[in-house]
Amino acid sequence: MAASIDPNFPCALTVEVPFPTHRLASVALKALQVDKELSSLVTRSFAISAPSDGVTDTNAKGNILQAQYKATTNRMLRVAVNSFMESLALVMEVMEELDEDVLTLQDQVN
Amino acid sequence: MTKPTNTGGGPLIALGCEGSANKLGIGIISHDPTTGKTAVLANIRHTFVSPPGTGFLPKDTAKHHRTFFARIALAALRAAKVTPSQLACICYTKGPGMGAPLQSVAVAARTLSLLWDRPLVGVNHCVGHIEMGREITGATNPVVLYVSGGNTQVIAYAEQRYRIFGETLDIAVGNCLDRFARTLAISNDPAPGYNIELLARKGGAVLLDLPYAVKGMDCSFSGILGAADILAAQMRAQDKILETEGPGALKEGETRITPEDLCFSLQETVYAMLVEITERAMAHVGSAQVLIVGGVGCNERLQAMMGSMAAERGGSVYATDERFCIDNGIMIAHAGLLAYETGFVTPLAESTCTQRFRTDEMLIKWRDD
Repeated sequence: MAASIDPNFPCALTVEVPFPTHRLASVALKALQVDKELSSLVTRSFAISAPSDGVTDTNAKGNILQAQYKATTNRMLRVAVNSFMESLALVMEVMEELDEDVLTLQDQVN
Repeated sequence: MTKPTNTGGGPLIALGCEGSANKLGIGIISHDPTTGKTAVLANIRHTFVSPPGTGFLPKDTAKHHRTFFARIALAALRAAKVTPSQLACICYTKGPGMGAPLQSVAVAARTLSLLWDRPLVGVNHCVGHIEMGREITGATNPVVLYVSGGNTQVIAYAEQRYRIFGETLDIAVGNCLDRFARTLAISNDPAPGYNIELLARKGGAVLLDLPYAVKGMDCSFSGILGAADILAAQMRAQDKILETEGPGALKEGETRITPEDLCFSLQETVYAMLVEITERAMAHVGSAQVLIVGGVGCNERLQAMMGSMAAERGGSVYATDERFCIDNGIMIAHAGLLAYETGFVTPLAESTCTQRFRTDEMLIKWRDD
């Protein structure tokens, strides 16, 4: 949850999505941040962060996609976050099915 | 043809992703720079079919594309026996089309581009249709009639642009047909227009009176749809009278309206309009070739009417079958690869979509005639 409340966009939600690697987290960020938010009633920012539980050295560059959404109303927040989740699910499925290591593995199985 | 930018030699391979309307298509194409030959390695499509009486809504269509993207992409790679490292670029439809479906496919195409470290190429959907039609039919410099559910344009090439000579003033011809299929509540499987065509073949006893709306080089279809809807309502009123009062209950001299005659009359009217504006464009340009592209282009009645017009002018009509006429990924791969070969790529930050993207906005750098 957002630490402080923005008076212009009082409804806020931060979604943290852990990925197996920094590379995948960064692919998701780059693929998702191209499209602008359609409504001026919503602002958002993406970042990549490292886990805060002390195991940072294995994932020094961070593997968590952080999506921070702020909106004027809860309804606008819900619409924007839902749309983010739908796109995120697509990005993750493409990663699961079509990343090069997965394809190589599939070829070996077949 | 312009030399490709990468000088590795051997054929260039591209993957194309299309999802501007209710078809999700992924195709893989190969261009051989030495022979100039094009080969279709894969052309997989999955269509979102809505129940009879309904159309496809952006939200549901986008969901369909998201659901099927990964498996269609996998199927295309398998069919082509191609690995990501062999690809020169990832092409996707930038527009025009429905926003949400376009965006869902663009997100997936971006993910592929990032995972596989291959450049993106944003493609104009209309240019994709035209280039694929030229490639498949071998028509070199035709007048193009682009007719689909979202677009109706008469196009001719001049000085590296596909220029729009005439177009619809309101709805697309395919939209008129699709919505009339909804009025009759006939199936949308495999396509509403195809089912109208089948019904129309059984009709033809009478040509029902519909408005004919050609305005200069442009057409209008919404009024025709309205008039056809009124006739369909009259038909249902007749059904009711005949059901309650028995046969022979219709007024003296009243024409019994049937779905078959309605479909026949609608097709004859709108296709005659399209043939008229196409013929005028051919006369302007001095071309005897006409190429029909877009989903409505696989209608055999339209092809036949266009064929007899072209024959009278000493020319011929070029058309493709449903694999290439109806929206597909291969046309996006093809047009994208043509652009890529001239050095065009779409930087990630600019890899957005746009619902409005006119055919003549695109510089056709790969043609120098």
